[in-house]
Amino acid sequence: MRAVHYLNQFFAGLGGEEAAETPPTRLEGAVGPGRGLDGTLEGIEIVATLACGDDYFAEHEEEALGRLLELAGAERPGLVVAGPAFGSGRYGYACARFSRLVSERLGIPALAAMHGENPGVAVAEGKVPIVPTAVNVVGMRDALPRMAQLAAALASGRELGPPAEEGYLPRGFRRNRLAEQPGAERAIDLLLAKLDGDARSEVDGGFDRVPPPLPVPDLSRARLALVTEAGCVPQGNPDRLPAIRAQGWLRYSLAGERSLAAGRYESVHGGFDVTLANEDPNRLVPLDTVRALEEAGRVGRIHDVFYTTTGNGTPVAASTRFGSEIAAELREAGVEAVLLSGT
Amino acid sequence: MLAKEIERAGLPTVFVTSLPTIATMIGANRIVRGPAITHPFGVDETERRGIVERALEMLETPVEPLTVWEVEAG
Amino acid sequence: MAWELATFPAGLMGKVPPLEHVDVEVVRPGEPVRITHVLDAVEPRVRPDGRAAFPVEGTAGEGRTNRLEGVVVLSCLDFPAEERPLHEQESLVDMAGPGAALSPIAEDTAVVLRFRPRAGLGNEELEASARRTTLVVAEELARPTLDAEPVEVERFELGPVERELPAVAALIQLSDLGPLYYQYLYGVPVGAAGLPRAIDPAELLDGAVTCGEYHWAALRNPTVVFQRSALVHALYREHGQRLRFAGVVLMRGYEQSAAAKRRAAEAAAQAALALGVDGAIVTTDAGGNSHTDVMLTCRACEEAGVRTTVIVAEMADPEATGPGLTDWVPEADSIVSAGNAEELVPAWTPQRVLGGDTLLDGTPAATAGPIPVRNYFGATNQTGQLALTATTW
Repeated sequence: MRAVHYLNQFFAGLGGEEAAETPPTRLEGAVGPGRGLDGTLEGIEIVATLACGDDYFAEHEEEALGRLLELAGAERPGLVVAGPAFGSGRYGYACARFSRLVSERLGIPALAAMHGENPGVAVAEGKVPIVPTAVNVVGMRDALPRMAQLAAALASGRELGPPAEEGYLPRGFRRNRLAEQPGAERAIDLLLAKLDGDARSEVDGGFDRVPPPLPVPDLSRARLALVTEAGCVPQGNPDRLPAIRAQGWLRYSLAGERSLAAGRYESVHGGFDVTLANEDPNRLVPLDTVRALEEAGRVGRIHDVFYTTTGNGTPVAASTRFGSEIAAELREAGVEAVLLSGT
Repeated sequence: MLAKEIERAGLPTVFVTSLPTIATMIGANRIVRGPAITHPFGVDETERRGIVERALEMLETPVEPLTVWEVEAG
Repeated sequence: MAWELATFPAGLMGKVPPLEHVDVEVVRPGEPVRITHVLDAVEPRVRPDGRAAFPVEGTAGEGRTNRLEGVVVLSCLDFPAEERPLHEQESLVDMAGPGAALSPIAEDTAVVLRFRPRAGLGNEELEASARRTTLVVAEELARPTLDAEPVEVERFELGPVERELPAVAALIQLSDLGPLYYQYLYGVPVGAAGLPRAIDPAELLDGAVTCGEYHWAALRNPTVVFQRSALVHALYREHGQRLRFAGVVLMRGYEQSAAAKRRAAEAAAQAALALGVDGAIVTTDAGGNSHTDVMLTCRACEEAGVRTTVIVAEMADPEATGPGLTDWVPEADSIVSAGNAEELVPAWTPQRVLGGDTLLDGTPAATAGPIPVRNYFGATNQTGQLALTATTW
């Protein structure tokens, strides 16, 4: 069976961040990790590798997908594999979008591989199975055989079994089964566990949605705070904000600063090319502009500290905690509105 | 995800990002699409002013959940 | 107050009395029969002391009651076409095939009473006649037990508990949506029965609550589910072991306004508190906005310091991801899923169809194709009667 493999610019060997604007490109046969994958696939051959720069995909999604679908279709594959993207959000996003569209529009079975908390998982909406991987490339040797296993299952044409058996992330479909005990006994077990401090549930409730707060009636009388997930820190990263999977957040004083000058601030985000940001950190945290607006009276007051973390591969539980800690400080300080920058 | 947690504390928050799809997935309510991952607030100050003003406008506007605004040309 | 339930074998089953306008058939478990338009299922019961098995006065749950094991009376009625009840939904029992495992009465011999509509009788009169006749037949069938020896006698009594154990109550939701959608407490529609109200758990097992509602086939609680309540049985068993069974509170779902729902939820929480409980298991009846009543009750309990576990069915689109609960509150962090009622049961062709040859939507009952779980009588029981549940794939 013919297979097509999707990789980003880095894993396809086209370059690092500087090649992130590479448009969709076809490479012959298996490339990079595809070679390792190809070796373990029985009866399936990677006949072509499609590579696309992560930034190109993010900024030209329609064109990128159109071109990639064209290139994929031309290979007449029986299977498409995307990734492994590990914890890289842009790469995971592209893998999810591409594999899903290949499956939906071309009817070709597809799978992707990435870390369980990669935003690409949510974007796939369960339309393609996703093999869970480690958060970074250290997990490559472990990921490839498991991708091969799922690939073989898809290629066989049979219906996939439960996620735990077949090695893919639960997709969110609810399926009935018979439990070992009737619901009454399970209810007693769950209630006693909850009374003991361990609340568990057989079904998750609603989405955790927060309704939009009411707007600020008049920003010219309000205190506005700047927060960033783009890892903007004073030059030299004096407090060692980690580039990936930030363990915390930091705050820095903006007193007397009219602008985030190059050379005084930098970004330590590990997930994108920081060249442009380091040339002018205002491109990430727009202090120059908001100061000008403060002086013009458009904004009442810019809060005298800004908050920074890196949103790269941060586990959901951690970023939830950071957010509530930062929010508590902001409220305490009388901040009424927040301008948050991400990537 | 920071935006949602800060909103949970009741603070109107506008999130400027070049990946609004992900932002809606994670549940941010006020989102302005930035031009690029490497520079969500644009390259030069003129572009930046346009983005920031759009963001400030959103802070002063009631919105439905998960709303994405583009920065209008001009 | 102690109550004894004496069990007698099915072989003692008496004869069905002659009935006008009713076809009677006996179906054994495993027979390739599909039964449609099922209204209710009732376990045959009779009391040696001569009091009514389904009393409308006095108090059930005292003395002794006899039950026939392995038999249920099923009532079926195809309401006249011109005036179908507003919320009516098809209600099936498959005695074999893939749907059989979903049935709370799969192992029982079914005495099927098919009521034929009569000219000049409206739906409410027809229903009342069907319901009463079904209860009368259920009592009749058990009558031979009065002269026989039981195979087992269970004693239901809540003695004092010496150890420090968590106190747990069952908050049982009952429905009242108006005529043809009533559940009854001692023959009174629950909307008029002064709910929420604490009762002795044995009353629930002993015929105090009967069912006269006909929507949501898989999600509503027919009479037999109260009579054989797995939840109440389990709580009695655990009394003095892992918990103190503090009692049962009956509460009404389908309160008709947001304010009424909130008040009822708070009253139910107060009734639970009055029993001195640490925790409560909250059950659900039927579907739609009764799920809102349950979730509001959960919230009111948690706010009053009563921890809760909720039993509820899901209505998840099988082809979509995302939660399938009809309603939810963040306090509901401990939920037992009774299964997904929207899942399709594979098509099955029975050899015989009882109750009515055509389903409510017009398809022939014998060749209907895949049918959603929600149309299978009792399948996603929301008092924990069955083992069906859902997991995430």
